[in-house]
Amino acid sequence: MPSDERAPVKLSLPLEFQQDIFKELREEDELIIIARGLGLLRIVTNLLHSYDAAGNNLILLVGADERENVWIGEALAEHAAVSMSPKARGLSLVNTDLMSVGTREKMYVQGGIFSITSRILIVDFLSGLLNPETVTGVVVLHAEKVVATSLEAFILRIYRQKNKSGFLKAFSDSPEPFTTGFAPLTNMMKNLFLQKPALYPRFHVTVAKSLEGRKKAEVIELEVPMTEAMRDIQNAVLECVEASISELRKSNTGIEMEDWTLDSALHRNFDTTIRRQLDPVWHRTSFKTRQIVRDLSLLRTILHALLAYDAVNFNKYLDTVLAASQPPPGSTKQNQSPWLFLDAADTIFTTAKRRVYEGKISNTDLINNPNVVPDSLRPVLEEFPKWTQLAEILQEIERDSYLNPAPQDSSNGSILIMCGDQGTCSQLREYLQTMYVRLGGEEDEDDFQEPSASFMMRRRLRSYLAWKRDFSKVSSVLFSENEKAINSSTDQRIQNRKANKPPPNKRRRVRGGGTAVSGPSRTDTGAVRTAGDRDAHIASLMAELKPTEIESMQKTEIGLDPLENMEDYYELFDMNDLVIIHPYEGDMDEHVLEETKPRYVIMYEPDAAFIRRIEVYRSSHTDRTVKVFFMYYGGSVEEQRYLSTVRREKDAFTRLIRERGNMALTINPTNTDPQESFLRTINTRIAGGGRLAATAQPPRVVVDVREFRSSLPSLLHGQSIIVVPCMLTVGDYILTPQICIERKSVRDLIGSFANGRLYNQVEAMMEHYKSPMLLIEFDQNKSFTLEPFSDLSVSSGAASVVPDLQSKIVMLTLAFPRLKIIWSSSPYQTAEIFSELKKNADEPDPLKAVQLGLDPDMQGDEIRSFNQVTQDMLRALPGMNEKAVMTLILEVENLQELANLEEREICGLIGTDIGRRVYRFFNRSVWEDVAVPMLG
Amino acid sequence: QALSSRSGPSSILVSPRQKGNPILNGVKTVVWEFSDIPADYVLGATTCALFLSLKYHRLHPEYIYNRIRDLRGQYNLRILLTMVDIENHEESLRELSKTSLANNVTIMLCWSAQEAGRYLELYKTFEHAAPTSIRAQQSTSYSDKLVEFITVPRSINKTDALGLVSNFGSVRTAINAGPEEIGLIAGWGEKKVQRWCNAVREPFRLKQ
Repeated sequence: MPSDERAPVKLSLPLEFQQDIFKELREEDELIIIARGLGLLRIVTNLLHSYDAAGNNLILLVGADERENVWIGEALAEHAAVSMSPKARGLSLVNTDLMSVGTREKMYVQGGIFSITSRILIVDFLSGLLNPETVTGVVVLHAEKVVATSLEAFILRIYRQKNKSGFLKAFSDSPEPFTTGFAPLTNMMKNLFLQKPALYPRFHVTVAKSLEGRKKAEVIELEVPMTEAMRDIQNAVLECVEASISELRKSNTGIEMEDWTLDSALHRNFDTTIRRQLDPVWHRTSFKTRQIVRDLSLLRTILHALLAYDAVNFNKYLDTVLAASQPPPGSTKQNQSPWLFLDAADTIFTTAKRRVYEGKISNTDLINNPNVVPDSLRPVLEEFPKWTQLAEILQEIERDSYLNPAPQDSSNGSILIMCGDQGTCSQLREYLQTMYVRLGGEEDEDDFQEPSASFMMRRRLRSYLAWKRDFSKVSSVLFSENEKAINSSTDQRIQNRKANKPPPNKRRRVRGGGTAVSGPSRTDTGAVRTAGDRDAHIASLMAELKPTEIESMQKTEIGLDPLENMEDYYELFDMNDLVIIHPYEGDMDEHVLEETKPRYVIMYEPDAAFIRRIEVYRSSHTDRTVKVFFMYYGGSVEEQRYLSTVRREKDAFTRLIRERGNMALTINPTNTDPQESFLRTINTRIAGGGRLAATAQPPRVVVDVREFRSSLPSLLHGQSIIVVPCMLTVGDYILTPQICIERKSVRDLIGSFANGRLYNQVEAMMEHYKSPMLLIEFDQNKSFTLEPFSDLSVSSGAASVVPDLQSKIVMLTLAFPRLKIIWSSSPYQTAEIFSELKKNADEPDPLKAVQLGLDPDMQGDEIRSFNQVTQDMLRALPGMNEKAVMTLILEVENLQELANLEEREICGLIGTDIGRRVYRFFNRSVWEDVAVPMLG
Repeated sequence: QALSSRSGPSSILVSPRQKGNPILNGVKTVVWEFSDIPADYVLGATTCALFLSLKYHRLHPEYIYNRIRDLRGQYNLRILLTMVDIENHEESLRELSKTSLANNVTIMLCWSAQEAGRYLELYKTFEHAAPTSIRAQQSTSYSDKLVEFITVPRSINKTDALGLVSNFGSVRTAINAGPEEIGLIAGWGEKKVQRWCNAVREPFRLKQ
C-alpha cells in the first residue's frame, strides 16, 4: 500500500551527511563505504526502521555480528516506541543452529526484519525453507568481507537470480580491503550485485561541514614520555622481531618478502600479514619457519603487553612466555625459538624484572644453597608515566569544575576515561581507587598527597610472588619428564568475599561502565589462589612487603564491580561525580557517549575512530560542551600505529575515489539466467551427439550442511549444479548413488590424520558406498605440492619414527585399497572435477544419503552437531576414540558438564580405561601439593 | 598368485622399462631389483605402481590406458604415481581423476623425483605395518595433551594455555572459571576469553 510506504517515521539523524546517506539509500541501491566512527550503525538502524514502520515486509540483515545485533535490536525497539508505529516488529535473530527448522519456517512466513547467520541463511535459501522471491530486501553489513567465494556473495547471487525487484543495500566502514588487488572496487561491486558506490571519508565535503561547522570539541593532546626501561624493552623486542624476520628470509628463499621490514612490523597485524604471505606455501614450510611465525605473534603480544600491563603483570606474563618456550625434553638447540638466544631477549627479561625488583631470584641460587636468604632484594615497582598524567588531569578537571561550576548545558559533568580493553579498565579503576592510599606512618606530615600507585603495585607484587612460587611447581610438573600419577585434585574454588563497603577515602566513586563485570571475585591479594611457602628468599621479599596497617584495612574488592549489589547502590551514584572507565568497543562507544553525556573525556590510549565519534557527538548536541584529553606515549609503537591507521584509511579512500572515477559502467550485470547458462553447458558437452537425456534432470549434488563453511558449494552452484543441503553422516558430497566424497583441505588433512578422525570417516564411506573418494583440496593461490622446502633426504631415513603427511597418506591407501584420491589444486578445479565425474551418471538421492550411516536407534538430527570446536576438543582428550566421542556427545551436555563429572560417572559412560584417563586429565592439579591459604 | 611367490620379502621389483628413471635414485633405504613384471613397480604382495609423467601423458594420452589394461585386474592396490612436471596440469588431472574411478587405480601425486622415490620406499616399508598411527591419536605426555586441548579454539596459543592452568591449577577449574577471572590472566584478551568460554559451555549437539 502506498500509504504504508510513506508512513510517518521519526528519524534520529541530526547531521547533514547522515540525512544525505539516508535519502540516497531510500531511493536507490548502493554500497556505502564510510569512515570509521561516523555512525554507520545509526544510519543502518534508521533505514531499517523506516522499512519496519511500513510493515508487511521480509527484510534480511546479512553479516551482522553479535554486538551489532544487540545494538540494532535495541535501536529498532526504541525507534518503534518513539515513532509509535504500530506495524513495527523489531529485529528477529536467527543465529543458532539450535533453532529448529519448523520454528524458522514459521518466523519467515510472519515476516519482519531478520538477522540471519550466513551459513543458516544459505541452507534455508537452497532447501527452499525461505523463498528468495518473498524477500522485500537485503541489507549487508561488513560488505568488505563479501569476496567472490564468500557465503555472502553466494547468498546475494541466489537472491538476485530469483528476485530482481527487492532492494539491496551494502555497508562498510573499513575502506582498506577495497583497495588490494586489481580493480578491487569494481570486483566487489560485482560480488555485491550493486552498481553505485558512495564514499564518505572524513574529508568528504558534507562530512567536514557537518562536523566542523558548529562548535568543535576541545582537544588537548598530551605526549607522555616512556620510562627508560620501557623504551629499552620496546627496542629489544623490535630487535627480536627484526632478527626473526631475517631468519625467516634466510630459511624461505624464493618467497616474496620485500615488504617484510621492521617498519611493517609496527603495524597492528604484522604477524598475520606474514602468515598470509606464507599461507600459499604453509604446508611446505619447515617446523622452524612455523615456529618463527608463532614467535612473531608472541612478540607482538609482548609489545602490546608492555604498554598495557603494569610492571608486575608484564613480568609475570614474560615468565609464562619463558616457561612455554621451554623446548620439549630431549630436543636440541635447533628446536628453540631463535629470538630467545639474542642478547635483546635477555634485555627484555632482565629489564622487565628490574622494573619489579632488584636482586637475584634465580632458581640456581635456590638449588645451590636453599637456606641462604639473599639480602639484596628490594622492590622497585616502576609505575606507568600515564598514571601520573591521568591523576594530574583529574586534578585539573577538579580545579576546572570548581572555577567554572556547572556551565549552561546539558552535559552532566561526569568524566569518561576510554582505554584499550577490560584489563586496562580494571587496572585504572584500581589505580584511581588507591592512588591516595598511603602506606602508613607518614601521611599526616604533609597535607598535599602526590598520587601514587605504590599501594596497588605492592599488592600486585605480593600476589605475583605467591603465583611465582606455584608457577615453578607448575613448570616442573608439566615439563619434567617424571610422569608421576598425581591425583590430588585440589579444586579450590575461590571464596567469594563480599565486602562491598565503599573505600573510606575515595573522592569519587569509581564505577565500571562495562557490561560484563559480575561474577566471582578474587581474594584480596588479587591471586586466584594461594599456596604454601617454599622459597626462602621470596619469603624475605614478602616480609618486606608485609601489608601495613592501612593496607590491611583496605579489604574492599577492587577492580570488579559486583552487580549483585547494584540495586543497593545504584541510586547513590550521582552522574555529576562519576568517573566512568570504559574500553573502546567500536560503534558501541556511541552509546557510552550518549548515555553518560560526559563533560570531560580522557582518552588513555589513542583511537582514531573514537575521536570522530566525539566529533559526531559534539556536533549532534550543540548544547553540550566536551573537553577531550588525549594521551599517548611519545615514540612508542602505540603512537606509530595510531598514525599509520589514520594514514592508511586516508590512502584507501583516495584510491577508492580514483577507482570510482575510472570505473566502467556496467549495464545490467545481472543477466546470469541460470536456465540459459545451464543449457549452454549442456550444449558444449554434447558435442559429437551425446545423450540428450541429460537435459531431463539438472545435475544435483548432495552437500553436507557443515560444508557451507567452504567456498565449494558456491562454486558448484556457479557450475549450474543444484546444491542440496542435507545433514550427512557419511561423507561430505554425494555426487552419484555410488560416489561419496570426503573433502579435506591440506590443513584439515593433517589435523584429521592426527586425531584418527579421517580413518573412521573413510571406514564409514567404505561401508556404504561403492566408490568412496578422498578429495585433497589445495587452496587457490596456494602452491600445489606437498613437498616440504627442507631437504627430503634428511628425514627419509627416520620416516618410520615421525610419520609425515606423505607417509600417512600411504598408510591410508594401504589400509583402504578401494579408496580413490582426488587431488585438486583449488576449489574451482574441484567444481570442474565434480561435474566431470557426474557426467552420464545417475543423480544421487538426498533422502537415502541422509539415512546412510545413521544409528537406527537414534533420530537423525539428534546426533548431528555443528560445533566442530567442541568436538575437536573432545578428540584431544587422552585415550579418546571415535566411539567414546560419540557417546559423550550424546550423553553429556557440554565440556563443562563433562569436566565436573565424577570418575565413576565418566567410566560408566566410556569404560574404565579411557574414563579414568579423561577424569585424571581434568582433575590433575598442576600445583602438585594441596595449597594452604595464606596472605590474609 | 604367481607373482607374490616371486617377489622377495624385502625388495621392490622394478620393471626394466623403468631403467634410467631418476626416481630410482630417490630409493635409498629399500633395496630394489629388476624383474619382468607387467607393472612398473611391485611394492608388495598385492600392491603395484605405474609411473606417469604428466609431460609424457600430454603427448601420449593413450599410453597409460594400455599399461593399465596390461595389468589385467591384478593387484589389490594399484598406484598411479603421477609426477606433476607441467604448469597447466588441471585438465590432465581432471581426466585422471575420472580414470581412477573407471579403471580402479589410486592416484598419488608427486612433484619431484626424490619425492616419487620416497613414496616407493614408503609403500614397501609400510607393507605389513598396521595403520595404528592414523587410526587413533598418539599418546603423548600430559603437558602436550594439556596444551593440545586448550589450544583447539582459534587464536589461543601455548603461552595462554600455560597461563590458564598455572592460574587455575587444573583443567577442571579452568573450565569452570568465569570470563572475568580468565580475563585477568596476562595475555587473555576478550576475544580469547570469549572463545574459550563458548567452547567449554556450548552444547555438543543440536537439541530439538
